[in-house]
Amino acid sequence: MKTTRRRSLFILLLTLGFIFGLCYFIFQLSLNNGTWVNQPYNGHVNDNGGLSQAGVIYDRNKAVLAQTVNGKRTYNSDKDTRKAMLHVVGDNSINISTAVQSIFRNQLSGYNMIWGLGLPQNLKSSKDITLTLDSKACKAAYEAFDGRKGACVVYNYKTGEVLCSVSCPTYDPDNPPVITDKNAKQYDGVYLDKAISSAYPPGSTFKVITAAAAIKYVPDIFSKTFYCNGKKEISGAKVTCMEHHGNINFKDALAQSCNIAFADITLLVGKDNMAQTANQMGFNQSFDVSGIPTATSNYNVSNADDNELAWSGIGQAKDMANPMQMAVIMGGIANGGTPVMPYMIEDQSPAFLGLFGNNQSGRLGKQILDSDVAAKLNDMLRYDVTSHYGDNMFHGLKVCAKTGTAEVGNGDPDAWMIGYSQDEDCPLAFAVVVEHGGYGYSVAGPIAVAAMDAAKKDMAQ
Amino acid sequence: MDNNVIFSVILVTVRVLLPLLAIIIVYQIFASMRRHTRDNKPLIMLLNKYTKEQIPVLCWENSVGRSRSNDIVINDPTVSRTHIVLLRRDKGWLITDIDSKAGVLVNGKKVSERAKVFIDDEIKIGNTVLVIHQGTDYSKKNLQVKYHKEPIAPFKLLMMITFFHLLMTFGACYSTDITNFQPFIPFGIFTALSWTMFGVSMLIMNRVTFEMESLAIFLSGIGVIMLCRQNIHSCYTQIITCAIGMIAFLILIKFIEDPDRITKWRFVIMGIAVGFLLMNMAFGHLRGGEQNWIQIGGFTIQPSEFVKIAYIFVGASSLDILLTRKNLMEFIIFTAICIGALFFMGDFGTALIFFVTFLMISFMRSGDFKTLILALAAAVFGGTIVLRFKPYVANRFKTWGHALQYAQTGGYQQARVLTYIASGGLFGVGIGNGCLKYVAASESDLVFGLISEEMGFLMAVIIAVSIVALVFYSRAVTTRSRSTFYSISACCTAGLLVFQAGLNIFGATDVLPLTGVTLPFISAGGSSIISCWALLAFLKAADEKTYAAKRRRTKAISKYEEEPDDEDFDEDYDDE
Repeated sequence: MKTTRRRSLFILLLTLGFIFGLCYFIFQLSLNNGTWVNQPYNGHVNDNGGLSQAGVIYDRNKAVLAQTVNGKRTYNSDKDTRKAMLHVVGDNSINISTAVQSIFRNQLSGYNMIWGLGLPQNLKSSKDITLTLDSKACKAAYEAFDGRKGACVVYNYKTGEVLCSVSCPTYDPDNPPVITDKNAKQYDGVYLDKAISSAYPPGSTFKVITAAAAIKYVPDIFSKTFYCNGKKEISGAKVTCMEHHGNINFKDALAQSCNIAFADITLLVGKDNMAQTANQMGFNQSFDVSGIPTATSNYNVSNADDNELAWSGIGQAKDMANPMQMAVIMGGIANGGTPVMPYMIEDQSPAFLGLFGNNQSGRLGKQILDSDVAAKLNDMLRYDVTSHYGDNMFHGLKVCAKTGTAEVGNGDPDAWMIGYSQDEDCPLAFAVVVEHGGYGYSVAGPIAVAAMDAAKKDMAQ
Repeated sequence: MDNNVIFSVILVTVRVLLPLLAIIIVYQIFASMRRHTRDNKPLIMLLNKYTKEQIPVLCWENSVGRSRSNDIVINDPTVSRTHIVLLRRDKGWLITDIDSKAGVLVNGKKVSERAKVFIDDEIKIGNTVLVIHQGTDYSKKNLQVKYHKEPIAPFKLLMMITFFHLLMTFGACYSTDITNFQPFIPFGIFTALSWTMFGVSMLIMNRVTFEMESLAIFLSGIGVIMLCRQNIHSCYTQIITCAIGMIAFLILIKFIEDPDRITKWRFVIMGIAVGFLLMNMAFGHLRGGEQNWIQIGGFTIQPSEFVKIAYIFVGASSLDILLTRKNLMEFIIFTAICIGALFFMGDFGTALIFFVTFLMISFMRSGDFKTLILALAAAVFGGTIVLRFKPYVANRFKTWGHALQYAQTGGYQQARVLTYIASGGLFGVGIGNGCLKYVAASESDLVFGLISEEMGFLMAVIIAVSIVALVFYSRAVTTRSRSTFYSISACCTAGLLVFQAGLNIFGATDVLPLTGVTLPFISAGGSSIISCWALLAFLKAADEKTYAAKRRRTKAISKYEEEPDDEDFDEDYDDE
């Protein structure tokens, strides 16, 4: 019987396997419980159920964006504000996966690992969230979009507060649409926060990155002259420009957005230096805005020939840019080379400490440019506005900017405008993209101006 | 504070109390089982006539020989590696020669098959002569005397369990959707049933212990009350099958009382089991790709559940048979028939349980790694065939580990289990308030998730641990059993239950790519609950105390002596 007992070790071994499996599962559960709970099919959190005790979401001026009254989730009283804030705030469903009500639904509804979602409604402790966003600026931007699709980001590049983040198309969270075959086109991409989760061909706005590379890697770039007659053949294929600029220097080439000059400049900089600069400025990597990951901007020329390299330097080829990322680049230039990273949620509530990291205000990102390069780019971008767009359109703000008109293959080009204001009391960086909008300056510009005007008005108060 | 808040606080307090109470109950059950085991007192003594060495005989079945792996080691080169087996039966002590070269002489007469031996008999093996003495002759100072705390009274234990079920029922009454006192009806019936079981065991059958039954009642009760807010009809079915399971448990314990009777019945039982499987293949119903059900009258039953009992039965045997007939062939053939039939029916989960049980039994019997490796190779081959020809099994492998990504397709059930386990937290959302109950098979295959969601993850872990503890218990009583038949069957039954629980729990939570087996005692399912109760008989029988009460009584009557008190029951084993 001694032998029998010894052989039963085999069964003990099997049992240890079971215990190990159980420990593994407990480990997985403690690691992922938040993700597991936050699923669209979860009957405890989806629909009004999960938000029936959820806390209030405020904007920076304590305007109520979402609240629960008598177990029912309601949103801001103004319809345009509701639509403008949809992609940041979210709706009752978890359709917009990057929205605050989706990502932080657990915390909003008082979820924690120990109690789960199991506490009776009247014992749940809900938490409020205050956003850094200015709902008036968002509304102004939304109205300026006027039914067109795209995204607009405005943030304070000194503090990192995101003031405006709007994505179109949108809908009213108080009355979500039923999407059918008929209206599918109208609502195409409606569940995507395009400011955070999309990337577009950057077009000429990418010339800012190419210019930065040229300043660093081509010593006599400011004394060089380029010749443009509207087209040029590189490696057996054409590069085209919208105008015949004739002889043009580096500074004017950026201001007038000359494709031929920038194709030459890209080739002067070279493949490796271009890739190096783009990576340093945040391409090919994602970052978090208050825990919400952005889409990755893309710059890849590893297999490009000279023609493709030339096109990549003027924001075409495989280039893709995320609006939030472009705004950060602008903030970085304005800050002398190192951006303050944007955030959307205020750290007021002590209960949120540790969840969103400690004070996010003024959190510096990685250095994207040497300070002398940033200073020279600052001058050039200011020259763009003074020489080309004119200060008038910005209603008194001293703005540095670059526009872009990105060919997208189907229909009108996407219109871009990125930039920042130099004003000490109104340090705003912005990026606007309008899908199939046409010409960047006249289409994207007014949306940025509308958002900044509203933000400026609030800041002055 | 308004009344609603106070009431909510009470409900939550009950939810927190339940797992804490469960911890106490499970601890008491196993602590009590441990405290019941006999001290290391010898049953009889062997005196080596020449060396004057005193050898205590501690087990009911002892191998004697030169090899160190024997229960009784004789340092004499003329003795075979394993020479004889010394066994104790109701009728007295027996001795069997294990094909030794030199043979065995009892009082000078040669002995081969089982022969009775008595006190003062001289056993000659090789050049060694052993004389049998009373166990009490052994000097007390050599004993390790253990001081135990008193085990909990069976009555108190069952009271605690009933109280636990009462609290559960109270919580179930106040579910969010419906508030009524209907759950008290199944609770009442089940409690009456468990106390009847208690009465029958303790008063009519005069059993000394009730822990094993308490554990089964505790777990079955949880399953029953969980069901009352899900499907009241299957809740009542569950209670009825529980009663049948209890009867099966009592009958089986009685039947396996004599380990030698089992040897005679082996082939009959094998035949019945094979007949069951053949009937299943012939008349089986196809459900979800598996043809493991047959319909008799208004009932559907799952024959493979009952074959499990027969399988353990056939697999285990007593020590002398283990040592004389080393051939596993008939058992291997029986295994091949069982697993083959289950493959044919498409019940791969149960086939896997049989296979692992085969590994456990064959290793416990032979200690042979070669058999294990050969069997594993066969299993890998079989598994490959399954994946090749059963696409729905292969599909499950594809979604394995990524249940959330396939939440609307292949990982539908697992994704929901994970989500709702996390939603339940440690103490659950309350019985009847869960969402998993709307998912198909939540009361059987996914019951671990259902318990986690409604009663909390802590409760689900306690249930898993209480099943695991059976393995530790069955190992602890191995050398205290009345025969290796009981120790092997108990260890393998515990192993089977743990393995089945593992398939159920890890299949539902996406740790393993398998589903389709029940969680012992908890899952809804008549055949499963009956088979679990019946399997428990093997665990119960492994404790020598199970059969003590009755014998003590007959002896007391025959000798017209006073009945000895409970605690000294093993003092009165002696051998005339």
